[in-house]
Amino acid sequence: MASAFVQSFAELAPDILAAMPGSGLPWLDAFRRGQLDAFVRDGLPGTRSEAWKYTTLRALERRAFRPGDSDAAIRDVDAACLQLEGVDGPRLVFVHGVFRPDLSTLDDLPPGLTLQPLSQALAEDAEPLRFMLTRGEAQAADAFTRLNAALAGDGMVLRVAGHARIDVPVHLLQVGAPAGEDLAWHARNIVELGEDAALTLVEHHIGTGTHTHLGTQVSDVVLHARAQLAWVVLQEAPDGALLFRHDRLRLDADAQARVHALELGGALVRHEFDAELRGEGARLDTRGAFLPGGRQHIETRLDIRHLARHTASDALWRGVADKRGRGVFHGAITVAEGADGTDAALSNKNLLLSPHAEIDTQPVLEIYADEVMAAHGATVGQFDERSLFYLRSRGIPADAARTLLTLAFCRAALDDIGNEVLREHLGKRLAARLPADGETA
Amino acid sequence: MSTETHEPVSRLTDRNPEVVRALSRRYGAGFITDIETDSLPAGLNEDIIRALSALKEEPEWMTEWRLAAYRHWLTMPMPHWAKLKIAPIDFQAISYYAAPKNRPKSLDEVDPKLIETYDKLGVPLHERARLAGVAVDAVFDSVSVGTTFRKELAEAGVIFCSMSEAIREHPELVRNYLGSVVPAGDNFFAALNSAVFSDGSFVFIPKGVRCPMELSTYFRINAGHTGQFERTLIIAEDGASVSYLEGCTAPMRDENQLHAAVVELVALEKASIKYSTVQNWYPGDENGVGGIYNFVTKRGDCRGDDSKISWTQVETGSAITWKYPSCVLRGDRSVGEFYSVALTHNMQQADTGTKMIHVGRGTRSKIVSKGISAGRSSNAYRGLVKVEKGAEDARNHTQCDSLLIGKKCGAHTFPYMEVKNPSAIVEHEATTSKISDDQLFYCRARGLDQENAVSMIVDGFCKQVFRELPMEFAVEAKKLLEVSLEGAVG
Repeated sequence: MASAFVQSFAELAPDILAAMPGSGLPWLDAFRRGQLDAFVRDGLPGTRSEAWKYTTLRALERRAFRPGDSDAAIRDVDAACLQLEGVDGPRLVFVHGVFRPDLSTLDDLPPGLTLQPLSQALAEDAEPLRFMLTRGEAQAADAFTRLNAALAGDGMVLRVAGHARIDVPVHLLQVGAPAGEDLAWHARNIVELGEDAALTLVEHHIGTGTHTHLGTQVSDVVLHARAQLAWVVLQEAPDGALLFRHDRLRLDADAQARVHALELGGALVRHEFDAELRGEGARLDTRGAFLPGGRQHIETRLDIRHLARHTASDALWRGVADKRGRGVFHGAITVAEGADGTDAALSNKNLLLSPHAEIDTQPVLEIYADEVMAAHGATVGQFDERSLFYLRSRGIPADAARTLLTLAFCRAALDDIGNEVLREHLGKRLAARLPADGETA
Repeated sequence: MSTETHEPVSRLTDRNPEVVRALSRRYGAGFITDIETDSLPAGLNEDIIRALSALKEEPEWMTEWRLAAYRHWLTMPMPHWAKLKIAPIDFQAISYYAAPKNRPKSLDEVDPKLIETYDKLGVPLHERARLAGVAVDAVFDSVSVGTTFRKELAEAGVIFCSMSEAIREHPELVRNYLGSVVPAGDNFFAALNSAVFSDGSFVFIPKGVRCPMELSTYFRINAGHTGQFERTLIIAEDGASVSYLEGCTAPMRDENQLHAAVVELVALEKASIKYSTVQNWYPGDENGVGGIYNFVTKRGDCRGDDSKISWTQVETGSAITWKYPSCVLRGDRSVGEFYSVALTHNMQQADTGTKMIHVGRGTRSKIVSKGISAGRSSNAYRGLVKVEKGAEDARNHTQCDSLLIGKKCGAHTFPYMEVKNPSAIVEHEATTSKISDDQLFYCRARGLDQENAVSMIVDGFCKQVFRELPMEFAVEAKKLLEVSLEGAVG
């Protein structure tokens, strides 16, 4: 017997599929149908499944969601909350996964930058997107990736032409708004940087008012030779939201990506980040902090694969769990046979601030080559008493000292964001999240 | 330099007679002892278990315990989560009992062939070898063939005997503790072991006694088409302490033989148990034919406050090693330790590590794991550190290092950390690297040949673990490592 969750998609899907952008293209229809059938057949993974060991979906199984939001185009959104300090380039706004031209600014795009919603790209010429959109078929996708493949009709399509260096950041917003019932929305992004291209992408998840929607987002990012991507993610979904994001990144020779993620919101959030370093000399830096408080459950899963020689990756993640929050981190580095000269490092440090909070961390190394430097480290603990003592001896009250130390602990993951104004803004958002004076357990 | 480092072994062996010799003496314990054995027919069912139990003259409750475990085992699927490629095991093709025909009454009556076997393996069973000062329980296939120093130990109040004897002579102790650390249905292989275990060692150290000598068990698989399913139970009462060693070897055969043991340790208040293993089961040949499947459940329970359990293992043998010696730190301020060297070569596979479950307050654990992979082998560390809600001020430090020798091997690290108490401090670090050309060059510039240089570097890499072994074992472990690595570097 399928769960209520699966049922809610199985029953309503046929007419939803027919109304989606790109519907009518035989290859796309067949692909979506196949993904949905696979989702309905297999349902949600249980905790017996290794990848879901620390994230139970039992509560989710009992819930039903309305697939898609027919009113997404007219939902009232406060334009002021879309602003982000230091980010003033082109902006794409999606409400419940549906493109909102009225809120977006796509005029005067710099030369070399192509930026449009997926729905529009599908209507104009779907064929060039075929490979990217259907590539999930070959992979053993999980339930949410399948659901997204079947039901995402919109998202961002971003292309930077070879040798174009875009100096204004592109701002992508996924907005959730209150609705009469719980919705499920899906977004599919495609990003491609040509040879020697450079881009800064800022991805921002917010909610206007509280809601308890479920969102999925799948992003495919391809960096051709020597391309450079700076990617900053600020996740501030409302506290009741459920968000499943899956990023798939491919780096060709000498391409470089720097990823920063600050995970603050959501009731149940899972971020999967897969990267393949396929070209010689490719480099990936990932940094991030996750701060589950309340009853939040935030999971980050990195899967970094070194497939070519002389590739490098460096990951530095911080977790702070407070109240009844639970932080889960999984950081896997694989060095394939022949990927000699790889230099890989991963560090995950965590703070537990409350007796009811929990941190589960699992750094993984799988090494199949021998000319390799690979290291990982993970810790779970609390404040260094000496640092606390030092601050108090300087006249700083205990609570303020704790907040200060927590802030410093997380800031390490954000300190090398290139955009200074944005960096400071993230620092402020972070500080606002931390327990105020006197509130600490 | 680097071309020389990675010269294929085959080319080297063609022209270097010394290497040919070295390679051919790689597994020294691979001989077969020609001795008449009694064995049960192959197959597994309730009748076989009843027959096994009857052969061992066991009481009714023991037979029932076995049958209950067997019935539970039938409901369990074979686990597949480990990073191992395991050829299907036909549990009906194994003979679950094999024993030398002439059962001795005392050590003096033991078949000289057996004594010779253990002499060849360097295990002192014979009177004249007793100067070594280590009490030995020798397990040959399914039975214990002799235990030394029993009188001396009995004077100190220590019980050291085979499990079969313990069931007959100390049923109340066995009944009280057997399965209390590893329940009969704990996992697939533990359930199988509970149903068919044939022998093993039993150690009981009474209150306040410091065991006067090292205890050891030497496991030998000899007969073909059998498995070895031994069960070891060590109990240290309040304030008692003991150091226990185990060693294992098996003949070279083309078949994969199954060794599924269960080891249970119980440490009561202020007790301490040190358990050391040098595992040298036959690893199979360079193409991965034959070798022992070593699927063992080892768990220690620090039941009392201030107790301590320390595991040290040197794993060089077995086609597949799959085990996680663990500590359940229930008593306040109890301490768990795990020191491991796991070496895989040729087609060997290892998925090993530990679990440290912190339950009591102020509990501490330390994990040092050194993995060495060579040839086409795969070597994985998998470990869990769990801090339960009530484990105030728990501390753990884990250090996992992997050394790669060769281009075709794999080294993996899968640590799990689950922390539910904010006062805990849990730390994990891991590194993977190969022996650097700089290190090799330095050693060779000092006049060491390639093989000695590698062996010296590996020895340094493992030192932290070898330090934990009793001296005789440390020497053996070092030798084993050298022999196992021969031919790994051209």
